[in-house]
Amino acid sequence: MEQKSVKRRKKDLSFLERIYIPEILKGLSLTFKNMIRPKFTIEYPEERFIPSAAYRGRPVLIEENNGDERCVACGLCSRVCPALAIEVQAAETEREQERYPEKFEINMLRCIFCGFCEEVCPEEAIVMSKDYDLTFSNREEAIYGKDKLLVPVNQLQDRIDFLRKYK
Amino acid sequence: MALKTEEMVLNMGPQHPSTHGVLRLELVIEGEIIKNVTPHIGYLHRCFEKHCEVMTYPQIIPYTDRMDYLASMCNEFGYVVAVERLMGIEVPERVEYIRVIMAELQRIASHLVAIGTYGADIGAFTPFLFCFRDREKILNLFEITCGARLLYNYIWIGGVMHDLHPDFIRLTKEFIKEFRPNLKELNDLLTFNQIFIDRTANVGILPAETAINYGITGPNLRASGVNWDLRINDPYSIYDRFDFKIPVGKGENGTVGDCWNRYYMRILEMEESLKIVEQAINQIPDGDVSSAIPKRVKPPAGQIYSRVENPRGELGYFIVSDGSVNPTRIKVRAPSFVNMVVFGELCKGHMVADVVAILGSIDIVLGEIDR
Ligand code: SF4
Ligand code: SF4
Repeated sequence: MEQKSVKRRKKDLSFLERIYIPEILKGLSLTFKNMIRPKFTIEYPEERFIPSAAYRGRPVLIEENNGDERCVACGLCSRVCPALAIEVQAAETEREQERYPEKFEINMLRCIFCGFCEEVCPEEAIVMSKDYDLTFSNREEAIYGKDKLLVPVNQLQDRIDFLRKYK
Repeated sequence: MALKTEEMVLNMGPQHPSTHGVLRLELVIEGEIIKNVTPHIGYLHRCFEKHCEVMTYPQIIPYTDRMDYLASMCNEFGYVVAVERLMGIEVPERVEYIRVIMAELQRIASHLVAIGTYGADIGAFTPFLFCFRDREKILNLFEITCGARLLYNYIWIGGVMHDLHPDFIRLTKEFIKEFRPNLKELNDLLTFNQIFIDRTANVGILPAETAINYGITGPNLRASGVNWDLRINDPYSIYDRFDFKIPVGKGENGTVGDCWNRYYMRILEMEESLKIVEQAINQIPDGDVSSAIPKRVKPPAGQIYSRVENPRGELGYFIVSDGSVNPTRIKVRAPSFVNMVVFGELCKGHMVADVVAILGSIDIVLGEIDR
């Protein structure tokens, strides 16, 4: 057992191999080669990363052009959510869809961005947006109500087009 | 002749950068030499198996992502294959091809992390950045397809979430073209670097017999010279249609089954995965990807054990169903968990600094060990 820590080499190294300088130079030459290659990173807060239409950012509710929400408070999304992040409370309305969510909350600490809510919604009322930098300073702030969730429909058009094409 | 010193206990972790997560190693050392190692796990336990019992079958898919978070696609693949076998679902050809492409790309991405962090663990930081650069390209491919970069929820029971992005095939071909030279560069920089070889060859030797007795799987087993890969030995999906080899360890720079061998297996496997992806994107048929997705996933009462080859070894799902929409029990055979068991054996008699080299070469993911 104790012998294990004594390393045996397969072959004896030549003097050049023993001083490791060629290896270090080989590594450094690659470093210099990379200095003149195009840059791969972006400088994040100044340069923003713009995701494609497929991107699943935070889920949002669609607000129609006249200011109404599209959601009919059927509660399917809250049932399918694996993280139990959604809470919906339905109420009656005069509008033709008859029901609307009196209270719609998504707990962003629980949400795992799976996209099931969007998939299941019969009205196409909840979609995944492109927002990816979510910050809060306490737990209460992380529960997004209707004020934060409703987003005008024209801002989400490319996601809706994407869904129509691929679902 | 050896100087007799007193034994002492050294705690490594849970917040130690080389333990790849929250793992605490209790080392009993005599001077520099390891006498015994006890891994303490469970810091990342999230009750995956218990939690599954109150969820429906599709709802479990996003949670399987979170076990081995470096190989989410492969985890979903394994789970979905198990449920499909239980329900007897045949999936369309195109879906099978998409799944294989995704799983093999994921294998490359996962091995890149393993290699990169291994280099970083033992003092070579440059390869780490290069590996992450290449992995990023794979993640971009995943992102345009399914919208997420790490936890995909893409492979569904009976199909996939949605079809490939129109540019996907072209971009994948481009990636393969770019990646081959990068892999060679990585080999020059790290794999055949004499400093690296001296550090890892003949360290932590795992003989084939010990590996089999402990139930080690994946690249770690193959590095010990055992030719065993579920993609060949117990084919699932459409792996029997592709032409690829299973690399086994030969002990080029030391003994069969040493750290360098385990590391080198991953390099060779990436090359093989590239071959599979190339063949698959050339053969992929057109078709519908969601036609076989069942409206209601309600498997008949019964049980099944189904296993797939993950980047880290054999990932098995044992599912017991009572005919309702929730599984009665799901048990996961996590490759990292089983591979971790042999760790103490490998470390005995080595120096403290070698613990890091051995741990990195086993390539564990704590999310999967603790579940
Ligand atoms: S599934 Fe759609 S319509 Fe139903 S409650 Fe959720 S968001 Fe509203
Ligand atoms: S994305 Fe998933 S976790 Fe988040 S609210 Fe929708 S269903 Fe729930």
